[in-house]
Amino acid sequence: MKNNWHISRRRMLKGMGACIALPLLDAMALPGINSHAGVKSPVRTAFLFMPNGVHPDRWTPDTLGNSFSLTPQLLPLENLKQDILVLGELMNKNSLFKGADGHYAKSASLLTCMPIKQTIGDNISSGGISIDQVIANEVGNQTLFPSLEYGLDRITTGVDINVGFTRLYGSSISWKSPSQPLSKEIDPRLAFDRLFRPYVPGIKIKEDPWKQSILDLVMDDAKSLKRNLGRADQDKLSEYLESIRSVEKRITNDANRAKFAANITPDITRELTRLNKNIDEYVEVYGGVDITEKTRLMMDVMALAFWSDASRVLTFMFGNSVSNRNFSFLEGVTGNHHSISHHMDKKEALDEYTRISTWHVEQYAYLLQKLKSIREGDKTLLENSMILFTSDLRDGNRHSPKNLPIILAGNGGGKIKTGQNLVFEKETPLANLYLSMLHALNIGHENFGDSTGTLSNIRA
Amino acid sequence: MDSLSYENQIRPLMAKKCFECHNTGNTKGGVNLDNYKEIGRVIQDGKFWLKVLDQIRTRSMPPKGEPALSENDYHQLVDGINSILQSSLRQKSPGHVVIRRLSHSEYHFTIQDLLQVDFDARNYFPSDGSGGGGFDNQAKALFFTPLKLERYYDAADLIVTQAYNDADKWARVVPIVYKQNWWQRFRNWVKSLFSDEYEEVNAPELAAEKVIFPFAARAFRRFLKEDEKSKLIQMFRKVYDQKDSLEDPMRFNESIAQTFKSVLISPNFLYRAEEEPEKTGSYALGNFEVATRLSYFLWSSMPDQELFNLAYLGMLEDTVVLENQVRRMLADPKAKRFAENFSVQWLGISKLLDSEPMVDPVKYPGFDMPVRNALYRETVEYFYYVLTKSKNMLELINSNYTFLNKELADFYGIEGIAGDDFQKTILPDSTRGGVLGMGSVLATTSFPLRTSPVIRGKWVMEQLLGISPPPPPAVVAELTKDEAVHDALGLRKILEIHRSKPECMSCHQKMDPLGLGLENFDASGRWRESYGKVKVDPSGVMADGRTFQGPKELKMLLLQEKAKIARNLSSKMLSYALGRSILFTDEPALERLDTALLENNFNPEIFIIELVKSYPFRMKINDYEKKV
Repeated sequence: MKNNWHISRRRMLKGMGACIALPLLDAMALPGINSHAGVKSPVRTAFLFMPNGVHPDRWTPDTLGNSFSLTPQLLPLENLKQDILVLGELMNKNSLFKGADGHYAKSASLLTCMPIKQTIGDNISSGGISIDQVIANEVGNQTLFPSLEYGLDRITTGVDINVGFTRLYGSSISWKSPSQPLSKEIDPRLAFDRLFRPYVPGIKIKEDPWKQSILDLVMDDAKSLKRNLGRADQDKLSEYLESIRSVEKRITNDANRAKFAANITPDITRELTRLNKNIDEYVEVYGGVDITEKTRLMMDVMALAFWSDASRVLTFMFGNSVSNRNFSFLEGVTGNHHSISHHMDKKEALDEYTRISTWHVEQYAYLLQKLKSIREGDKTLLENSMILFTSDLRDGNRHSPKNLPIILAGNGGGKIKTGQNLVFEKETPLANLYLSMLHALNIGHENFGDSTGTLSNIRA
Repeated sequence: MDSLSYENQIRPLMAKKCFECHNTGNTKGGVNLDNYKEIGRVIQDGKFWLKVLDQIRTRSMPPKGEPALSENDYHQLVDGINSILQSSLRQKSPGHVVIRRLSHSEYHFTIQDLLQVDFDARNYFPSDGSGGGGFDNQAKALFFTPLKLERYYDAADLIVTQAYNDADKWARVVPIVYKQNWWQRFRNWVKSLFSDEYEEVNAPELAAEKVIFPFAARAFRRFLKEDEKSKLIQMFRKVYDQKDSLEDPMRFNESIAQTFKSVLISPNFLYRAEEEPEKTGSYALGNFEVATRLSYFLWSSMPDQELFNLAYLGMLEDTVVLENQVRRMLADPKAKRFAENFSVQWLGISKLLDSEPMVDPVKYPGFDMPVRNALYRETVEYFYYVLTKSKNMLELINSNYTFLNKELADFYGIEGIAGDDFQKTILPDSTRGGVLGMGSVLATTSFPLRTSPVIRGKWVMEQLLGISPPPPPAVVAELTKDEAVHDALGLRKILEIHRSKPECMSCHQKMDPLGLGLENFDASGRWRESYGKVKVDPSGVMADGRTFQGPKELKMLLLQEKAKIARNLSSKMLSYALGRSILFTDEPALERLDTALLENNFNPEIFIIELVKSYPFRMKINDYEKKV
């Protein structure tokens, strides 16, 4: 049955977007970072998470190397074949441990590559800092926002007493510290406003000359309060103190703010004006129900954030772990994601499963295409990026974290050799990929998570 | 008898005999004993240590192949651990409650009570997860991030601006109109000619104090400290001085507004903190802390004037006063907030309010957002009625009434209800009465395109009886989606085939019947007689052999599980009231709560009074880890 009661006109038009190459935007180089010859554009990094895995047999291309043909689920990347790496047989070993469940243990550790703590909420721990935050700690001080965390859904509530995990674990991939997940922004309007509202032509921003004094005052409150509390309270309150410091840093860093303001070129202004209107339309017309439209808007915000250099690292969750999103808006799909992912090797379920993961790849392709259409010096923005797409397990029916479905797009500013289909030795740590990405960013860590080395053949 | 010291005798012995395989670097079997550096940690994790004790006592540990414990060591460990756990129960340790950030709902209601502003916190702030008992007020699962701080800041600005722009609302918190008259201004001007440090006549600070101090004290839910007072007044003066282009009272009011903003972002407002003086053992909470615990438990908000007054007089230590306050608070309309927050989270139905699709409105016409809202309301109204009117919590399981408005009655196909207001409706029989007949629960436990007796059965076990079936094996079969097969065989038959494997049987024979008894309710909660071409057969055999026919009889069988229902309610409610998980040391309190329910016909008022008087609610104990 085809449920098309909420398919929007704009999505019908934009649904084609991924297949048609957008015209190259004739953007000038970013004044803040690129005006002098010899100054390299920064490399941007993004981690996109898709819940529930993929059809295991319709993902990895047959031929290795650079003359591979795309499998059904990768077809939306047709025009981007030279810009991607398909990576096979990587595994997040630390997502398997005694007590680990099918999902939560895999998603919370996806970017930490360390075992999480089994808990209904009392001692939440992701085992480590996530890779995006390791990067943010290195490069975050050069932009207005050290990192951005985006998604589509609210945190899943409740605890799964069945397996002994709080569902929070399935809703967070970005961990500032092992015990602190970062909040993700799920509303395109709020996400856009936080970064760009002051730059929308015609919008007047209320001045707030006392912000600094107010933040100083409450910071002082927090310090006095902390002295009178117990240890666990103090740890909790540190989150507050760190948040104040981080926001203070942003508002007091005039250099970064001036740099960011200077980055808002006329092209960027045009794009953010367009996006601002689209978000208004989405809010009014689609009432928040059209998920493709919402995803595209979030991707537009992401592309704009990278383009304007508001931030250089971000994460995005297409859904929370075990997401049971109803995908019957897709032709040939009549159910929801998690249920369908338990396909029992039945053909009809596998077909639906394929369509759902293909939808995710389509949205990914939309973002890549967008980044590719933006020029930055002698390169495209995509060439100056590393955009990772992955799920926390391969086959949803088997919950296996082996041979994860991973695509890395973009050349990392010339460090990554794309256009290849690579299959590594079985059970190669996923952390090796992250370590390689760190090295491509000139971040000289010797290891990350359970890494045993780097993936030399992805380097240009 | 505490002859053995954990730190000096038991732990060193375990270090020799156990740590080799159970330390931070090597957690064999997922067990790390080295981590338990303080006795407090052992007690907090008492349930786990019961298992440790069991392993040692039965000589399963150390395992074969490792040197066994000497008789002396064996007795030292077994007796030592045993006495630690036993005495922790005897001493009624209240357990440690960590500082709690206000949940979004608590923030919403606190702002409402403080400033009469209705602020949509749920959608404005990044969402939170749940912890412990599955509630959103559990300290350890409430995080603070830079993004949240930004939103709190902007929210404070929006809220104060809204209050400021509404003369009535503003007058409630700023009851004075400040202005220096011409004579006062003249005298101040003259004084300023002779000295830089003169005492101003009718200084704005003095007026500001009268406004800011009561406001901040209410917001912080306690008396202000001297340094807090001076910081707030300094803030006010700073803004006031800079706004010299404005005339009073506008200048005064706008300066007050900025100061209010700082109050609403302060950790003293955003967190419910309970201070930790240098004390050993357990001790009573302060009066203001009790007032705060009470009001967030039963009103999801700050204490009102009466609670503040009683706290000021030090009367909240008196259990008779506490009893009367619980009665008063439950009778106050604000108790509906508790009914809502507790019931929708306990039953897991809050996603009815999200725009995310649930049950497919094409296959189940009418299941749209207004109906989803109405289903949510029905449950809240019902719970509120049980809490305050019927006063028998077993009616949550079974009754012959529910709450409907016209819209919902039409959806259920019940005639004779008019209007938008929810009204108590007596049903022809007890088929639908209670949460198991509510569309809210029935839809949240269904798939979009069909019911799931398994999920419903699991829900009944977990949410009503408090029993958790073990997790399913890693590879689980989904049922066929072939509509033709469903039409031809019916769900019951399909499930029967499905669970015929012995490894599935043991759990599914407990879960499935509970759900199959509800099969007359479709995925949207409406009544149906057939599933495809097969007539619904709502009969079942419980795992213990008792049989039933349909929801009415199923509920009667469930009602026989009174002890389980009582224990489940006790632990859920205590966890909600405290904002933490249930600990080993709560056992004696839980037993008293169970008794309160079982002996008083599940009267919620008596139950809640018992809870509020219990040691975990009224006492505290310092953290076992040292302060930094």
